[in-house]
Amino acid sequence: MELFVCRILPYFAFATFLIGTTVRVAGWLRSPVPFHLTLFPVRKNRTGRAVSVASEFLLCRSLFREDKLLWLGVWLFHVALVMVAAGHVLGITFLRDQFTLVGVNASASKELSLILGGATGSIITVSLCALLCRRIVNANVRRLSEPDNFFELLLLLAVALTGILMYVPGFHADLPAVKAFMAGIISLQPIPIPHNTPFVIHFLLVNLFLLYFPFSRLLHSAGFFVNRVMLVEVPPIYPTPVGNTPRSAFATKILHPDIPVSKNRAVEREADRL
Amino acid sequence: MKIPLHLAKKEALHAIGIDPFPEAERQARALSLIDDYRKFARSLTVMLETCTRCGACAKACHSYLGTDDFYNIPAARAGLFRKIFSRYFTLPGRVLGRLVGAGDFDAETLGTWMEYFYQCNICRRCAVFCPFGIDTGEIVIAARHILTQLGLAPGFMVNIARNELTTGNNSGILKPAIMDSCEFLEAELKEETGLDIKIPVDKPHSDVLYVPSSSELFTNSDTMLGAAKIFHHLGSNWTLSSTLLEAANYGFLFDLDIMKKHNRRIRIAAAAVGAGLVIQGECGHGWRVARMCTEGANGPVTFRMEHILDFAADNLSKLSIAKLPLRATLHDPCNYGRAAGLIDSPRKIMKACVTEFVEMSPNRERNFCCGGGSGLLMDEMKDIRMRLGKMKAAQIRELLPLDYVALPCASCKAQVPLLLKHYGMEEVYTGGVIDLIGRAMVMDRK
Repeated sequence: MELFVCRILPYFAFATFLIGTTVRVAGWLRSPVPFHLTLFPVRKNRTGRAVSVASEFLLCRSLFREDKLLWLGVWLFHVALVMVAAGHVLGITFLRDQFTLVGVNASASKELSLILGGATGSIITVSLCALLCRRIVNANVRRLSEPDNFFELLLLLAVALTGILMYVPGFHADLPAVKAFMAGIISLQPIPIPHNTPFVIHFLLVNLFLLYFPFSRLLHSAGFFVNRVMLVEVPPIYPTPVGNTPRSAFATKILHPDIPVSKNRAVEREADRL
Repeated sequence: MKIPLHLAKKEALHAIGIDPFPEAERQARALSLIDDYRKFARSLTVMLETCTRCGACAKACHSYLGTDDFYNIPAARAGLFRKIFSRYFTLPGRVLGRLVGAGDFDAETLGTWMEYFYQCNICRRCAVFCPFGIDTGEIVIAARHILTQLGLAPGFMVNIARNELTTGNNSGILKPAIMDSCEFLEAELKEETGLDIKIPVDKPHSDVLYVPSSSELFTNSDTMLGAAKIFHHLGSNWTLSSTLLEAANYGFLFDLDIMKKHNRRIRIAAAAVGAGLVIQGECGHGWRVARMCTEGANGPVTFRMEHILDFAADNLSKLSIAKLPLRATLHDPCNYGRAAGLIDSPRKIMKACVTEFVEMSPNRERNFCCGGGSGLLMDEMKDIRMRLGKMKAAQIRELLPLDYVALPCASCKAQVPLLLKHYGMEEVYTGGVIDLIGRAMVMDRK
């Protein structure tokens, strides 16, 4: 068991996450975009288009226009998620001493870590609860939801709660031990897992999350870019600039029968010539 | 909600090159068509798989707002496709089935597809408000294309496509009738202006090929009169083509092979008259196809292509215009604003042509569809269409008293007058933007 949890599962989960996601995205990209799908208005220059995708990514502007309340929940959740992820990287590397790097003393750095961690953890929990409530309370959204929508929210909620539990008196995890365990996994020299129930559950759930990610709707994070890139494509210019390759096989496909247009000879000759 | 769509008969389908599939073989055939389509277009898979079912699209969709039917919520509409796609083409769908929203292809599948994919106007408004930019219209286009290959298509659209393929226009008019109409319109122009303004057909060595909506020869003739006046005044060497008297391209709305064939005719007709510039008339989806799909459907284009509204707006200072005493508003056809970026030119023209131009709200790329788009103009769909147009009617009502609603699209021109009548606003006049220029132009009597 120890062998599986410490030496196999994390690597298997991470590999599944990476390979699975890559395979899915590559699968999307394999199909061509036969026609321009530009959604106007669209910026004229490259930088402008990059800025519009980036601002959509960072601020969810489309959603903000349509539903301010949902936007608030969604935006807070995603920002907190990124902060928590960053906090984990820093925490595993520096164990709460990270802020000494910017000139704060060690005890203040610990305090700051606790406050920031506590705040983002709370935001994530509250926003997840809000999103879950919305799925249940709003009749249309409830009907649109499938079991996997609830599973995803509950899984994330469970990850967040077990993470927070590690700080609650009575469940306290030995953080240096956790750090050493994680560092062991990352440096490919795994050591036995610390026997702290919240941490063990937290760890297992995160692995489940990684395993589940590529097969689920959580892939909307990657779909966002694939989709948005299609929508900001430069619209076609006529006459077509020399050197443009056909967008897809459809452009060169010959369709039969080309029903004769009219008895106009000139037109028919032209049709044959083309 | 059941819709009273009349399906095309076997003979009509044969005429557009479709061999209907026996019912027993439909499922297997449908699945192989879905497989073909996902390899054909990236948008189908990405847009189906990226949706998180957040429901933000509900309030963006005029079809849902007008009918209050759950399956007219874009995410639910796409869900009808996603259910099947997920079940047969994804690992979690195959393994977990209903837990991930996958469902078997059953006797009702194609029926619900027909119902709900023909209550969407492919207006792309959902894409503007979706956090991921998912365009349900893309899924609808895929579904309709697949349904057509199976032999399931509205008779109305099949007949129009048949006309497009055999005569080059939706109305099915042949060259003698075209010549007649043009002569009649020329006489009308003479009477009105005292000038010999020609509407040439198939004139060789022309610089400009004007591709109107065929309805401009009959019901919407004011648009053609306006266009003829503009070309005449600017001294353009222009012509119509009897082989392509139609900017519309119905294939785009239910069969992409037909779209490709009709679209190819633009280059054939332009070459036949020697035109280096093709000007497309007032037709919403027609302009979207011409502008956005011509290269994708038939390869590189050797001529310039412009919309008549851009052409007129660019030459506005050369047209002597006296403002008409009207309080007028502009309806942005979805296929202009969101789908082809034709937003500023009609406004520039409107402001020059009327004394009081007022904006609808919302407008531009956030405008609501009139409910007549995507080929739903058949008589049997009128009641449904009035519900699809509910938001548009409400938008117009806010601006009353109003003299004129400018509708630079042939489908909108067919739908909005009915809407105004249905919602008790028959006093408001409708017509194109080019019609307004025609009426506002001061022509020299020489």
